[in-house]
Amino acid sequence: MRSPFAYRPRSGPLQSASPAAAVAYLGSLATVGFLYSNPIVLAATGAALVLAGLLAGARDAVRAALWMGLTLALLIVAVNVLVVDRGATVLVRLGQLPLLSDVITAEALAAGAVIGLRAAVVLLAFAVYSACVDPDRVLRALRPLARRSALTATLVSRLVPVAAADAARLRDAARLRGPAAAPVGRAALARRLLAGSLDRAVDVAATLELRGYSLNPPRPTPVATLFPPYTSKKRCDRRGERPRARRSRYDRRFYVVGALVLIAGVAGKLLGADAFAEYPAVQLGVGPATLALATLLALSGLTPLSPRPRRTASTSLPAGWRS
Amino acid sequence: MQFGTDLAKGARTAPALAIEGVTYRYPGAPAPALCDVTLRLEPGELVLLAGRSACGKSTLLRASSGLVPHFHGGEIEGGIAVAGVDALASGPGELASVVGYVAQDPETQVVSTTVAAEIELPLEMRGDAPAARARAVEEVALALAIPHLLGRAVDTLSGGELQRVALAAALVTRPSLVLLDEPTSQLDPVAGDELIWLLRRLNEEWGVTILLAEHRLERCLAAADRVVAMASGSIAFDGRPRDFLVWAQGVDAALETPAARLFSLCGIEPLPTGVRDARRTLAREGEAGPLLTQLFPKEGRRLTPGGGFGKSTSRSEGARLPSHEALMCRDVWVAVEAGENPRDVLRGVDLMVHSGERVALMGRNGAGKSTLLRTMAGLVQPARGKVRLPNGIALLSQNPGDYLVGERVGDELPGEAGEAALRVVGLEHAVDADPRDLSGGERQRLALAIVLAGRMQGEALPGLVALDEPTRGMDRARKDELTHLIEALADRGAGVLVATHDVEFAAAFAERVVLLGEGVAITDDPAAEVLSGGWYFATEVARVLDLPDVITPEQGAEALSGESLSGEFVVRDTYVAQTGKSARKGEDG
Repeated sequence: MRSPFAYRPRSGPLQSASPAAAVAYLGSLATVGFLYSNPIVLAATGAALVLAGLLAGARDAVRAALWMGLTLALLIVAVNVLVVDRGATVLVRLGQLPLLSDVITAEALAAGAVIGLRAAVVLLAFAVYSACVDPDRVLRALRPLARRSALTATLVSRLVPVAAADAARLRDAARLRGPAAAPVGRAALARRLLAGSLDRAVDVAATLELRGYSLNPPRPTPVATLFPPYTSKKRCDRRGERPRARRSRYDRRFYVVGALVLIAGVAGKLLGADAFAEYPAVQLGVGPATLALATLLALSGLTPLSPRPRRTASTSLPAGWRS
Repeated sequence: MQFGTDLAKGARTAPALAIEGVTYRYPGAPAPALCDVTLRLEPGELVLLAGRSACGKSTLLRASSGLVPHFHGGEIEGGIAVAGVDALASGPGELASVVGYVAQDPETQVVSTTVAAEIELPLEMRGDAPAARARAVEEVALALAIPHLLGRAVDTLSGGELQRVALAAALVTRPSLVLLDEPTSQLDPVAGDELIWLLRRLNEEWGVTILLAEHRLERCLAAADRVVAMASGSIAFDGRPRDFLVWAQGVDAALETPAARLFSLCGIEPLPTGVRDARRTLAREGEAGPLLTQLFPKEGRRLTPGGGFGKSTSRSEGARLPSHEALMCRDVWVAVEAGENPRDVLRGVDLMVHSGERVALMGRNGAGKSTLLRTMAGLVQPARGKVRLPNGIALLSQNPGDYLVGERVGDELPGEAGEAALRVVGLEHAVDADPRDLSGGERQRLALAIVLAGRMQGEALPGLVALDEPTRGMDRARKDELTHLIEALADRGAGVLVATHDVEFAAAFAERVVLLGEGVAITDDPAAEVLSGGWYFATEVARVLDLPDVITPEQGAEALSGESLSGEFVVRDTYVAQTGKSARKGEDG
């Protein structure tokens, strides 16, 4: 079964955008998640990512990320309330327990919830990125910059799902063994999986060799030496030149929104939009800067919205002209 | 640019592949995998590489693609040139422009996330311009009839689709030589035939030289210009397909095709390279002599049911009758979550197997065969329906290596129960052996012993023994061994259910065939009836003779010799059309 975070090719704006544009957009939202502690801002950032994921068609990834984020957040809250004894509002007194706090406070609960919310936001950003940004295009973009790293990343990105499938098969085989056959422990299974993964890695590496991955990537060469001057301004992508990266008509949109989110986030931080204090008592800032930033962030989730196809001439044309 | 131009010139003038006195030994191997191999392929040839398992076919293909020795290491002597390029001096990357290589397992030969990216990758590595890449991808996708797959993620493709994508990635650079290592081993008969004829078309229309290693020779012999047979790392035969059949008849019967075996048994010559060839020869024989007049003596003659046609029919009519229920599936539905589009893989399957019965489960890739077996074994929960296994099940899945985790056979199967299981599969002598040192067939039998261990009461087997695609990559000799093992299991009282794509193997062991299509059991009838009544799920002998219930060479030989003819049988219109005779009217008889 496919992972919900696995990339699925679609024709939406986020999938069509260049990896740099998509990373700029999603990265700006993740950065706000890291910068801010105000739950309103964090919730707005999370809402933006959920909206972006749904508009991009990554429903499964969003659902899985929400589920994992919620679980993680609950875990963080549980740990935080049990180990932190700061805060003025005592909810429960636990008594003297080794390593644990003797009280549960509302402030520790809120602080845990904020950390959990931040973790969920980052997880959502990763989930949408993973489901909507083509890893092949990312690796391709990285290859001229860091060839060995790109090769390693290619092998890993290919082998992880293959290893997951192998592990599922080995687990099934272990379950199918007869009751009198020697039981297969986790260590033996892991050893067998590792050995199998090495074989797989050799196969994949052989395929990469056959596809010419070991050849040097095309290097940029002075255009004038290969082509006459009058062609030098044209787009020349012949062998020996670095081909220009494929662009999308949506790139500008993501770059602009990403920059806007980042600038607004930094400016909001300077203007006090992150007003929030957990201890000694919870103080939540709901000033105009916070609300304006939250609104902007939430609206940024609409960026992957697909434009409606134009339906102009069809009504004015005679019936016979309609396509 | 210079390099590419040289290659293009070389590809036009030099032989597609020239191997001169090559001896190769893998690192640490005690014996060489290739011994003094000399071979020359001319441009535009389609050559079939035959031979038993581990005879050196794959190594020869790897050497021709540059993987040996550049990737695998080892010691090599001699010389290899691909379209004029020295393969020992150039690595596989440099050879990628002139040679395409498609390995046996399509799962491990895709490295990208989407189909389009996978096909485009070799061109990108070569530095082609985006426009040229886009055009080449479009053209190769059209040639292989996969343009609809371009936007798909590779992990959503079936085995057949994946194999086509791998072939497209190998062809997109327009190589002069394409090497394929058992490309049909994981494909159903329909996809396998399509792939072979696709290769023939590429060979004829694009002039691509093709070197194809295969075990199922009946599938591709008719399409080949030439056959090269290997044995123990050397070339044992190199000649025309018809001469190869004569050679195989005398030297290695395991390499005979079913139609050739049918003709050998009947003493008819020349041996046929395919179905059309066989039917033409039979038609000529019929015109010249009494052969077809025996087959078509009168209008409306019919073979006596179970008229002693070979082993299979006699088995089904034999003394051992099904005694009690081994498996009962009633209205089984299984749904698989496939992201946003969950689908029903099994849709109301009903199936009954009795103890001692041998049943083949067939169908196209993705028809639901493996899912049905996994549901029986409890690995998949049915959404609806009932599975009953009164005496348990032992399921051997597709890859026997998954079961082998110990360093010693005895470690896998300790105690008396383990020894009993080893005795059932005939491996009691190998208790101290390392499972990795066993042959492919022995490893499979060991895996079977592992799933049987402790499920036997004394020496009695579980009610149902199920095998999932056990003949992948097997040569005929190993398939015969497996057939004997299945018969032994059934004789000891187990119902045996085997999911397979291999119609010839099904004809050899099965009494009944269940055909699955899109999760529904379309047919559940005697093997002789199912495997003689169609185009794709029919044996080669059945396609040659087109007689009801005749599926194996032995049955065909009996039919042709006329020994079992008594009463009347129906002549099919297709055969009449082929022979051009009015046999239906019995005028020639």
